Amino acid sequence: MSESLPGSKISRVVDDGSIQSGEQRSLWQDASRRFRKNRLAVCGLLVVLFFLVTAVFGPHVSPYDFLEQNIARAFQGPSEEHFLGTDDLGRDVFSRMLHGARTAALVAFFTTAISLLIGVLVGTWSGIRGGRTDEFLMWISDLIQAMPGLLLVILINTTLRRPIINAFDDLYMQTRDPFFLNTLWLDYVLVFSALALIGWPGLARLVRGQVLSINEEDYVLAARAIGASEVHIMLRHVIPNALGPLVVAVTASMGGAVTLEAGLSFLGIGIQPPNASWGSMLEEGRRYWQIFPHLMLIPAVTIGVIQVSFVFLGDGLNDALDPRRNT
Amino acid sequence: MATFLLLRLLRWSVGLLLILFITYAMMYYGAGDPIRMMFIQGEDFDTEDEVVMLALRKKYGLDEPFLVQFGNYMNNLFQGDWGRSIRLEVDRPVLDIVRFRLPISMQLGFAATLIGAVSGIALGVWSALYHNRLLDRLIVSSVLFINGIPIFVTLPMLQLLLVLQLKLIDVPYGWNGLFHIDAALPVAVISIGVLPIIVRQTRSAMLEVQSQQYVTTARAKGVPENAIILRHMLRPVLTPVVTTLGLIMIGLINGSLFVEYILNIPGFGLLTIEGIKKVDYPIIMAVAVVGTLIIFVSNFMVDIIYPILDPRVRAQ
Repeated sequence: MSESLPGSKISRVVDDGSIQSGEQRSLWQDASRRFRKNRLAVCGLLVVLFFLVTAVFGPHVSPYDFLEQNIARAFQGPSEEHFLGTDDLGRDVFSRMLHGARTAALVAFFTTAISLLIGVLVGTWSGIRGGRTDEFLMWISDLIQAMPGLLLVILINTTLRRPIINAFDDLYMQTRDPFFLNTLWLDYVLVFSALALIGWPGLARLVRGQVLSINEEDYVLAARAIGASEVHIMLRHVIPNALGPLVVAVTASMGGAVTLEAGLSFLGIGIQPPNASWGSMLEEGRRYWQIFPHLMLIPAVTIGVIQVSFVFLGDGLNDALDPRRNT
Repeated sequence: MATFLLLRLLRWSVGLLLILFITYAMMYYGAGDPIRMMFIQGEDFDTEDEVVMLALRKKYGLDEPFLVQFGNYMNNLFQGDWGRSIRLEVDRPVLDIVRFRLPISMQLGFAATLIGAVSGIALGVWSALYHNRLLDRLIVSSVLFINGIPIFVTLPMLQLLLVLQLKLIDVPYGWNGLFHIDAALPVAVISIGVLPIIVRQTRSAMLEVQSQQYVTTARAKGVPENAIILRHMLRPVLTPVVTTLGLIMIGLINGSLFVEYILNIPGFGLLTIEGIKKVDYPIIMAVAVVGTLIIFVSNFMVDIIYPILDPRVRAQ
C-alpha cells in the first residue's frame, strides 16, 4: 500500500503500529466476536468451508472415475466398495458428488467474480457521475431486477449456445486448431455469464448506495480539500468502508449461484451430461425415486444443507459487519 | 400524483418494449431455425425438402428480415394474434394455449399467496411480539432455514416423506382442479416459497410500529393489547408488505416453473420449459410477454396502491 498523501504519511508515522493497526484490528475483531456468538452462522461457515475444500481437493481423492460406467453394478445401495452406492449407469455416486461440488464451486466463484466486477464498476461510475448516467444505469439495473431472473437465465442459456458453437465451428474451419472442437466447457461459460447478468444489478445498487453515502462523510471532504484525486478517495476511503456490506452481498451471491446452477441443471438447461452437477443428479435420481430413493436423497440433502449453511452464514455476517443494525 | 403515475407507466412500458425487443433478437439470432429443427429431430416431419422448408418458413412469417418480423409480431400482438405454435402443439393459436395454461398457474399461485400471506403475517406479528425471545428466534431461524432450501429440493423430499414413508397421499400427478387432493402438495410448496418474504417484512414493520407514540398512547388509555394490534398496528404493517408484491410474483413464477415441471402440471411454468426445449418461437415470446407483464403490472399496482395506504407518501 503506497502512501501518496503527505498528510496521511504523517498520521501513519505518529500512530505507527500500536494505535492505527490497533484500531483497524478492533473493528474486525469486533465483527468476529459478534459473528462467533451466532452459533448457526459458525456452523454455516464450517459447512461452506468444507464444501470449498471438497471442491478443490475432492475430485483428486475420488475413489472412482466419475464417468466410469458399469451396468452390471447399477442401482447398488451404499456398500464398502461404493460409499454412496451407484446410479442407473453403475457410476459411483460418491465420486460424482465430489465432481458436482467442483462444478457448484466453480459456478459460485466465477459468477460472483464477474457480477462483482461489473457491479463495482457500474455502481461506482453511477455514484460518482450522478445525473443522467446514474439514472440510465439504475433504470437498466431496475429492469433486470424486476424481471423473473430464472426466466431470463433460461432464455440466455438456450439462445446463446448455438451462436457460440457456430462461431467455434467457423474458427475451427479457419485455424484447424482442435481447441475449438472441444465445447465441454461451454455449459459452464453459459451458466456463468447468464447468472452474472442477473447478479450484477444488486451489487451495483449496493455499491452505488455506499459511494453516495460515504461521499457525504467529513473525512472524504477533508481528503478532497487537501487535493486527493477521485481515484485515491475511491481506493482509500470508499471501498474499504463499503467492504462490510459487500462481503455480505458476495456470500449471498455465491449461495444464490449454487442454487440457480443446480436449478438450471435440474431443468436440463444448465450443466449437461456427462459433466457432473448436483442438480442433474437430483433430476436423474428422481426417475427412480420410488424404488431407489437414495439416488435422489443424496444430492437433495447435499444441496439443502449447503444452501441453508450459506443463508445462516450470510445472516451472521450481516449482523456482525453492520453494527448499526444492532443498536 | 397523476404525473408521477404517468411517468411510472411510461418507464415500465418502455422497459417492457425493450425487453421484448431483446428477447425477440435473442430468439432470432440465437435459438436456431425452428423449421430446420423440425427436420433434424425428425419428430414432426421426415422430409429434407428445401421447398417444403421455405413454404413452412413463409407460413410462419420466418422468411422476413428481423425488424419486419419484430414489427409484425408487435402489431399482431396488440390485435390479439399471438401467432401459432410451431412445434409444441402444432398450429394451435398461442393465445389459446396461454388461455388454457395460465389460469392453472394462477389458481395455484393465488391459493399459495393466500395461504402464505395469512400464515406469514400471523407469524411475523407473533415473532415481533416476542421480540428477541425464544419464540422470535425460533420463527426467524426456521424462516431462514426454509428460505434456504430450494423448491426443487423441498418438493422431492416432501414426496419421499408423504408418499413413501407416511403413505398419506398417492403420487400427485397432473392437474385435476384446485380442490383435488393432488393440488395440495404444489400449493403448499409454492406458498413455502413466498412465506419468508412476508414474514420478514411483517416482522420488521411490526417492530417499527411498536415503538410509535400512538401505540403507547393507546396502551396508556387502557386499550386491550389485541385491539391495539388489530386497530393500530396491522394497517401500517400491511403497507410495506404490499410493496413486496413484485418479489412475491417472482417467487410464484419461480415456484410454478419447478413445481409444474416436477409434478407435470400443465400450467404456465411447464409451458415455459416445454417451449424452450422445443425452440418454439411464438411460445417463448408469449412466455416472455406474459412473465414480464405480470411483474411490471404488479410493480405498477404497488405504485398506485402505496399512496392510498400510506398518506405520507401521497404528500410528497
